[in-house]
Order: sequence, then structure tokens, then C-alpha cells
Amino acid sequence: MSAMPLPGRHKGWNLVAVLTRWLLGGLFLQMGLSKALDPVDFLKLVREYDLTQHPLLLNGIAAALPWFEVFCGVLLLAGVAVRGSALMLLAMLAPFTWVVFQRALAIQADLGIPFCAVKFDCGCGAGEVYICRKLVENGLLILFSAWLLMGWGRGLCARYALMKPRAEN
Amino acid sequence: MAIVGAAIAFAANAVSPRGLVLTRNYFPKAVTVAGPAPAALPAELGPAGTNAVAVAPPQPVVASLDAESLQRADIDLAAALFRDPRYQSELVVFIDARDEEQYREGHVPGAYQFDHYRPEKQLATVLHVCQLAEQIVVYCTGGDCEDSEFAALALIGVGIPKERFFVYVGGMSEWAAHGLPFEVGERNSGNIGNGEP
Repeated sequence: MSAMPLPGRHKGWNLVAVLTRWLLGGLFLQMGLSKALDPVDFLKLVREYDLTQHPLLLNGIAAALPWFEVFCGVLLLAGVAVRGSALMLLAMLAPFTWVVFQRALAIQADLGIPFCAVKFDCGCGAGEVYICRKLVENGLLILFSAWLLMGWGRGLCARYALMKPRAEN
Repeated sequence: MAIVGAAIAFAANAVSPRGLVLTRNYFPKAVTVAGPAPAALPAELGPAGTNAVAVAPPQPVVASLDAESLQRADIDLAAALFRDPRYQSELVVFIDARDEEQYREGHVPGAYQFDHYRPEKQLATVLHVCQLAEQIVVYCTGGDCEDSEFAALALIGVGIPKERFFVYVGGMSEWAAHGLPFEVGERNSGNIGNGEP
């Protein structure tokens, strides 16, 4: 942490962090809505991961996850509960990236093709994607979320319009 | 925050007209068949479905149908049933198990749409037709698509005898690739074409 400049001290970095927050928020809002508006397609994709065969669990994941992404996306865009939202994104992204990686390995083994030639709809809301590109994207999203979790990106937050910072109370 | 988010997410699903019914089993299989994960074709072969003619039905789909004791129809049988005089009197019926958008893009002429994920709109009509039919051909996109199997199982579950059903595994992609006629838009729209919709 000591090597990292503290939030608030570098306006340039703060601006980049706010833009990152908006980018993450917008991305999750868009990806969440695309799935929430067609939950049956998302349900079929979730089933392909073979995480569970129990209908209630399967339906629960497919029904709630897209709206949860929308929820986090809106909070990030508005700047409310930024660190909590970033933590939620991390909690979704890390295991999701792992299961996508595992599924890509299974497809690679089945088709006998190079790993980076594996292309499938991972249920991310962007249709079919090449796995290597998806893993890089998710890696970046994880880094961005971790950055926000460290306290960056809190400029232009609606939270401060709703509640005065404690120091001013 | 996670609890609040989850509560909002489930509430949004409940009020959404496209929301899922949490307690419903959308994949009514009696038997789970192990097999390779369904996957897109390699990039050099293009998007899934475009090479359906050259590709045999995926083994998991075939094995699953066999495990459910559902009869399979190949392109020859499906085409023969389509040309059967009984098709005009609805003693032979085709059921399209895809969603409305896909159905409107092109379906077997005269086929009824039955999206088993959202059966509310079509169930009464399809049920009535199936009760009167002698043979029922159910199809979806083809390839690794399982919706035709689920639709057949859903209709069997509401009392249609299993022996009437044929699952056309090649589906709409194979049908169109063989230059067989397809109908665009609503059922009996009269907008008939041949080849790829």
C-alpha cells in the first residue's frame, strides 16, 4: 500500500479512477441488462457450466445474477457504496473467470484445438468470444475492481451529495 | 450490501415480465447423460449451425433421446411426414420448440410454435392439436439444441402419449440447408421460401 499514492493526492489519477468507475459501472449495467432481458438464454448458458443440476439453484443464479450486476453497475455509476460494489464485482468476477477457464479447457480437450482458438458464449452478455480475449478482459476488470476497492474513484460520487462526509458533521 | 442487492435482484426478477419461475424445472430430463460440454465449432468452421448438414447429431443429444425412449426422426422421415397427406388434416403435426423470434425468422410451414420455457401463450392450442394428432414432429435449431427434447417431454408430462412423438434432431438448420420450404412470420402467413431463411 505504501508504494501506492493515497487517494485524493493526485488529481490526475483520481480522474482516471472515476472514469474507470464509470466504465465498470456502465459495462456491468449493459451486461446485466442484456442478460436480465433474456433470462432463458442466460439460464441455458449457466446450465452448461454444470455447476448444479438443482432447478431452484440454477434458476436462482440465472434470475438474480443479471439484476445483481445491474444493481452494482448503477451504484458504481452513481458513486454510492463504491468500495462495497467493487467488492461484489470481485466476488463475482474471480470465481466466474475460473469456471470460464475450466470450461474452455474442457472444450479445448473435446475439440483438440489450440486454447486461444476456443470460442463460446460464456454468458457474459457479449455473445461468443475467444477465450484468451475474455480472460484478458476479465483480468483487467478484476484489477479495476481491486483498484476501486482500495479507495480510488470516489470523486463525483452521489453519495457525498446525499450524505455529508463525517469530517464535516 | 450483498443481501440488499440479492433482495432487489430477486424482486426485479419477480416483477419482470420475462422473469424466471424459481421453482420450475426448465430442463425436465429424467436422465442426465454425460458427454462433452456443448461448444461452438472451431473458428475456422464458422458459427455453430452453419455446418449442420455436414455434422452428425451430437452424441449427447442422441444418447439423451435414447435414454428418454424418444423416437428420433432424420431428414428423410421429417420430410416424408411433412409431405404426408395427413399433415393437411393435422393428423401429423410439426412443433417448433424455438423462441418466437427464431420462429418468425423461418419455420416449417404450418408448424405450431411451442416455447416450453414460456408455455403460457401456446400451451392450450398446442395441447389441443397434439391430442388430436397421430404423429408429432418436434424440432428446434439442430446441432446440440435440446429444446425439442424438452418440449416433447413437457407435452408428454401433460398427457400426450410418448409414442406419438418424433424428435427431428437435425432441426431447422438442416431443414433449410436441404432446400425444404420454410414459412416466415406467423403460422400460415403464406410467406413461403426455400433454402436458408
